[in-house]
Amino acid sequence: MPIWPRLLFALGLILAPWIQAEADMVVVVNARSGVERLTQDDVINIFLGRYRQFPSGLAALPVDQPENLPEKARFYRVLVNKDLPEINAYWARLIFSGKTSPPYQAKSAAGVMDWLARNRGAIGYIERSQVDARVKIVLELEP
Amino acid sequence: MRIPAMRTRWRHSILFRTALILISSLILVSAITITATIMVTGERQRQAANERLTHLLDTVESTVSIACFVKDAKLADEVAQGLLKNTEVRSVLIKADETELTRKAIASPTSQENSSTSILTREVHSPFTPGKAIGQIQIEGNTEAIERDINQEIKFVILQALGQLAMVTLTLLAVMLLYILRPIKAMSEGLHRLDATKGERLTMPKGHADTEIGSLVSDINTLAGNLVSTLDQERTLRQQKEQEERKYHSIFENAETGIFIITQDGTLTSWNPAFARLMGIPTNDSYKGSLNIRQLPWENASRIAELALNCHLRNTVLADDLTIRLRTGFRRWLNVVLTPIDEKLQQGVVHDVTEHKEAEDSAKRLAITDMLTGVANRLGLEEKLRELLHDPFIAQTGGFTLMLADLDSFRRINEGFGLPMGDSLLRDVTARLSNGIKLGDTLARLSGDRFALILQSVVDGENIEHIAHRILESMRKPFFIEGTSIQIHLSLGITIYPEDGSDIPQLLRNAELALDRAKAAGGNSHLFFDQTLAEAANQRRQLENDLRLALQNNEFQLYYQPIVDLSENRLAGAEALIRWQQPGHGLVPPDAFIPMAEEIGLIDEIGLWALDAGCRQLAQWQREGINRYLSINVSGRQIPDGLTPAALTQAAQRHGIDPAWLALEITEGILLADISKALAWLHAVRGLGFSIYLDDFGTGYSSLSYLKRFPIDTLKVDKSFVRDMSSDSSDLALIEAVIAMARGLNMKVVAEGVETHGQLTLLRNMHCHYAQGYYFSRPVPAEQFEAVATLINTSLNNPTPNHA
Repeated sequence: MPIWPRLLFALGLILAPWIQAEADMVVVVNARSGVERLTQDDVINIFLGRYRQFPSGLAALPVDQPENLPEKARFYRVLVNKDLPEINAYWARLIFSGKTSPPYQAKSAAGVMDWLARNRGAIGYIERSQVDARVKIVLELEP
Repeated sequence: MRIPAMRTRWRHSILFRTALILISSLILVSAITITATIMVTGERQRQAANERLTHLLDTVESTVSIACFVKDAKLADEVAQGLLKNTEVRSVLIKADETELTRKAIASPTSQENSSTSILTREVHSPFTPGKAIGQIQIEGNTEAIERDINQEIKFVILQALGQLAMVTLTLLAVMLLYILRPIKAMSEGLHRLDATKGERLTMPKGHADTEIGSLVSDINTLAGNLVSTLDQERTLRQQKEQEERKYHSIFENAETGIFIITQDGTLTSWNPAFARLMGIPTNDSYKGSLNIRQLPWENASRIAELALNCHLRNTVLADDLTIRLRTGFRRWLNVVLTPIDEKLQQGVVHDVTEHKEAEDSAKRLAITDMLTGVANRLGLEEKLRELLHDPFIAQTGGFTLMLADLDSFRRINEGFGLPMGDSLLRDVTARLSNGIKLGDTLARLSGDRFALILQSVVDGENIEHIAHRILESMRKPFFIEGTSIQIHLSLGITIYPEDGSDIPQLLRNAELALDRAKAAGGNSHLFFDQTLAEAANQRRQLENDLRLALQNNEFQLYYQPIVDLSENRLAGAEALIRWQQPGHGLVPPDAFIPMAEEIGLIDEIGLWALDAGCRQLAQWQREGINRYLSINVSGRQIPDGLTPAALTQAAQRHGIDPAWLALEITEGILLADISKALAWLHAVRGLGFSIYLDDFGTGYSSLSYLKRFPIDTLKVDKSFVRDMSSDSSDLALIEAVIAMARGLNMKVVAEGVETHGQLTLLRNMHCHYAQGYYFSRPVPAEQFEAVATLINTSLNNPTPNHA
């Protein structure tokens, strides 16, 4: 047996878990919201408090994954290329004026799903594997 | 009075000027520097302010971007408030998209007057989407604060510049004062006190020995030295000049010569006492007013004026003799010498040359006067002729007549009566001649008995003829001199100017030609010159020239005419006769050229040639064993020096002939010349063994006593007697007598010109010894002679006349 195929196989074994983890983050909304697709900008505006409504005029209720899960950090890294401390510093400046507020902070991943299911204007981010009938994918985040 | 002077000096002082220039230029430089500083500083300040504002914006940028992102007016307000706390910010404006979030400004009295305030605007980008504009922040700088800073800085710069200016100016002035002005002032004061003539010199300022000041001082000292020595020389020269002037003034005052000085227009500026005496004017010192040299008593004032003008124009010394007429009436001759002194002045020197001039005049008169007769001499005549020829009016007056007069045979009178008598006669002739001409005409005695007359304005032939007749007529009455009555005539040769000649020599020559012709025609007559006379003279001159060349060109030839012995009926000898084979003229007989040869002194040479040629012929005959006499003609002019006895001997010896066979034919003419010399010659020649024939016997002044005194061997009876012998019995008798007389004197006789047999018969009957003539033969060249000789000998021994 030639050596090259065996080497490539070994490399695939090493890289496989990481590639798996980075993939498959999607932005979803309540299935009844009537929102079909959103741009990345739409998502940024909603999650970072610029606008809190969908293009259809429906008030948007964003939800963050729990702080202890890697999804939140991953989400902001992918969306605006910022660390969580940076995101927190951002909100710290705005909280004072009271004009807007950070998204609803879920206590757990299930809490996220629950928020998404309960509120018609809810918007959140989850792994593709968690998607079910209650939610609808509006944006697939490219790593 | 001092103060303005001081001020003036102060204003013109080097220090003041230097300070002025220095301060002006420093101010100018400072102004430029300050202006530049202001511009640079202001700009820098503004930039700095701008930079600070930019920094300010940088610090608030992230917050503003968040405020704009969420359009949070409150957050924007807070940022604006914070910015306004900075004194350099006047107002802040934050906009999110088109929505104005906040606009804040500080309260200021001079709010918005200056439009050129610096406004800094920056785009605000989204904090999450780089490059996406979501708003704008605008800050207006507080320019007042900036300007204030700038002004402060400028003030500092100006102060600094002024400080430097003052320092530099003061330092420079101090240095100048110390190193330049003080030494100069010291020098100036030194010069004021300095007496260079005493040898004082400027002292060298301390420490300046090698500086420009030092070299100036030594230059001044050198100059002072030069000036002093120049002044010394000048003084010496002036003293010399004064001395010379005194000397010359003394000469000027005391000179016997008149000295004066005139200006260019002739005004006398000074003259010495001698000049005043000469001119009869007051002395220079006592004369008041202006005196011109032309006002002096010149006889012709324009001549002195002309002299002065020429002297001025040519700038050279000129002299002339001028006359003045004094008030006393005396006329004086003055020699005036004018010398140009400079452009305007001339110096004149005047001598009284009256005596000299008069002596000169009388000497001149004497030189042109004939002492014997008191009329003009040849010089006087020529001077008169020159005067007439140069007379510009001579053409209008028509010219003049020149007559030459010559007494006929005056020599005879001089010889006959003696020189004193001759002189008296000349004086009387002069008197008659001068009576015959008009006043104004000229009479001159040229030489001996030759006179000349110039008749002025008389040129027409008839009139001249009349005058000539009158002159000839005036001589008709006999002259009585010392009780003796003398009859004399004269001849006149007449020329008219300008027809007969344009210059003096030609006129005189032509008059002489006419005179000679008149005399040749017998005298006591007059003759007008005409061109034929001149042509004849020309021909004669040509002939003379040809004759001179004839000997050189060997053109002479001897012909021989036989002489027959009648008693022995045979040829006895020959007479050598000279012929001239003149090219282009043929054979010229002797009587056509011998007189001329005698006249021009060529006869001696021709005679010697004839002697030589004759001797050669004789020698040839003798070599051939033929005994013949040969006779050669000798002219009276050749005796005694032209044909010396020594020359005869030499010729005979040269050709080796016996002198006994050579005879010399002379004429009675020689007996009229110096008899004693002729006699001596004859004796000498005869003593040498040569024979002497007397030619042409019977035609001259034959004196029988001569025959006795002269040693003559043979007489040649002239052909005129022989020719007329048959018809004229007296001639026959004469020849008979001559033959008888010759026989008595032991001489032989040759009858010349025998042409007929009859004549020959008569001569035979008279027992004439020899005969010669065409009956026997013409003269023939030597080469024909033998034939002729044979013929003659034959015919003589055969009495039939076969040629007549």
